[in-house]
Amino acid sequence: MDDDLIIKTSNLTKSYGPHVALRNLNISVPKGATGLLGPNGAGKSTFLKTILGLIQATEGEGYVMGLDIRTQGDAIRSRIGYMPEYDSLNPDMEAIHQVRYSGELLGMNPTIALARAHETLQYVGLGEQRYRNIGSYSTGMKQATKLACALIHDPELIIADEPSNGLDITARDYMIQTLTNTVKNGNRSVLMASHLMDDVERVCDNFILLHKGKLAAQGRIEDLKGFDREIEIHVWGGASRLVEAMTKVGLKVRREGRVMRILHEQEDTTSLILACAAEVGAQVRRMHEYEASLEDLFLSIMENLGYEVKSSEDLLASPIQARKVDAPESMGGGSA
Amino acid sequence: MNESTPAESNRNDALPLERESPEAPVTGKVRLEAAWGSTEGDEDLTVNQKPKTENEGHVFEQQYKPWNGQLNPRWMRNWSILRHHLLGIFKKGHRPWGVPIRLYLLVVFVASLTDVGMTLISGLIGDSGFHSVWGVSRDNLYAHVLGFLPRNMLYYPVVAALLVGGVISEDRQHGTSAMYFSRPISRFDYVSMKFLSVALIQALIIHVTLGLYYLAEIITMGRGWAWIIDTFPMFLATVVSGFLLIFTYTSIGLSLSSVSKGKFFPGIALLSIILGTKVLAFIVSNLFDREILYLISPYDCLAHVGQAIIGTQPTYDQYSWTWSLASLAAMNALALFVLSTRVSSMEVTRE
Repeated sequence: MDDDLIIKTSNLTKSYGPHVALRNLNISVPKGATGLLGPNGAGKSTFLKTILGLIQATEGEGYVMGLDIRTQGDAIRSRIGYMPEYDSLNPDMEAIHQVRYSGELLGMNPTIALARAHETLQYVGLGEQRYRNIGSYSTGMKQATKLACALIHDPELIIADEPSNGLDITARDYMIQTLTNTVKNGNRSVLMASHLMDDVERVCDNFILLHKGKLAAQGRIEDLKGFDREIEIHVWGGASRLVEAMTKVGLKVRREGRVMRILHEQEDTTSLILACAAEVGAQVRRMHEYEASLEDLFLSIMENLGYEVKSSEDLLASPIQARKVDAPESMGGGSA
Repeated sequence: MNESTPAESNRNDALPLERESPEAPVTGKVRLEAAWGSTEGDEDLTVNQKPKTENEGHVFEQQYKPWNGQLNPRWMRNWSILRHHLLGIFKKGHRPWGVPIRLYLLVVFVASLTDVGMTLISGLIGDSGFHSVWGVSRDNLYAHVLGFLPRNMLYYPVVAALLVGGVISEDRQHGTSAMYFSRPISRFDYVSMKFLSVALIQALIIHVTLGLYYLAEIITMGRGWAWIIDTFPMFLATVVSGFLLIFTYTSIGLSLSSVSKGKFFPGIALLSIILGTKVLAFIVSNLFDREILYLISPYDCLAHVGQAIIGTQPTYDQYSWTWSLASLAAMNALALFVLSTRVSSMEVTRE
């Protein structure tokens, strides 16, 4: 296994009877922060359980930090910190003791676990609140406590399942900042399953996209976002004529009323747009470069490219498909 | 150039918030000064007078601290589960058992010492008639563990019901099962340590008080080795009966806990099974003179087996005690099957 990879799977398949939950996953997760994306039922939870060694893969193989997921589940779970999506804390316990107990369950000496619980609660911002019962905590504080439980033994890999779920803006920002800090300053790796694309974008450098148990895409977020950079214009008067003119000169245009997005794939795209506008007498009242958010890309991939695309390189290699991502069928878009 | 020295600056900082500041509170003093000019009027209005509102305090700096310690092996992880549940009875910081449960355990423990106290009194007053009622004998040893009223009606089943109620069901309810199974804890270790901890708390009440009872007899009556050698087999048989009782109550109780998400149902269901089947068997026995239904009553089966191995007068005389033993084995097997199946299905990612 490559030293830079923290998770690697080859043809990983998991079936529950006739239902195939994961199908031939070939995933390579480098060190650092990686987002695990996918709609409900995509197989994210099954994937996490499989790499934790909690359920046996039907076919294929996988390694987490060089440890075999089939035979070394205990060792894997000792070296990772898992932050569950749902409540996993006893509301009648004080946070300090809950975190200490989570350390003891990993095999930490009780005294050391207690000292470390103080440190981790301080780190996640609950230093002053650590002797309060968890039942009296807000959702954000509970999420922070779960993160402290995951960090108590200083794991190499933190698996965070929906870490910012249900949090208000302040708590969400703090959670994102804590995860980012853990990656950047703590030099730890994070695998973050989330449906909040903004959060993934802020924390992660890489992503894995699952859909119906298959790998839809994986790679660097930057690469993915770079492939369909567009220019957005707001047009007054003669919008339809402008679309025709731009299409005639070879520009790829998507239109929603007066707002148009033109694929920015050549140096003189702006000049061409302005020339076309001048030619047809349309007013371009606003023009700016539009960078698709991860969410846009996620939706477009899910809807159009589907899971045939294996990596961002593949996406880059099929620009025609990529351009059609969410254009209406009447404009030549639609299914790829 | 209007420069102020550090000393002046400090003095100005210390001035109270006055009318120069729009944030100044409209107090009585401010109104008074506005109306009557109660101060000297020599204030330097060119100096921006700001109150010193900043509190000096600790600035939180988020800093990741690595840890290079070693994690202990499996036995230490299992010990932590056992310790968590056992110490929770005595102090804070471990499994919160709740004050009513802890109080009831204390009451039952003290109440279970009745025969100890009576033995001590009989030794002190030297009344042989009193001692024959309360002192160590086959019947009294049996009664300490398997007597129906009050011990197996009010004490031990209720203790078991209170203990098993939330042990597994609350892990489902609060999702704390994820904390166990996302760590290197196997399902077997999880359930066996929970089983052991609940059983040990019951043993603390049943067996410790039994041991004290036997010890009280030795001390107060001045029993020698001959008596100890003579009575030790029946004492051991009582200990075994106690373990059988604890095992059965715990396995049925935990299986009920594993199918639930609250502590009420398992507790009530355990009491219903133990007491309900006993009452049913009693009614059928009295109405139809048939004892066969006692085979579905855990308590009756335990009592029958206990009578056989301790050597007291059997009260279930229509059938062999091996039927009761087989019935107990079947009940425990069923309970453990349900328990293992349900614990196997506990989720890490979602419950």
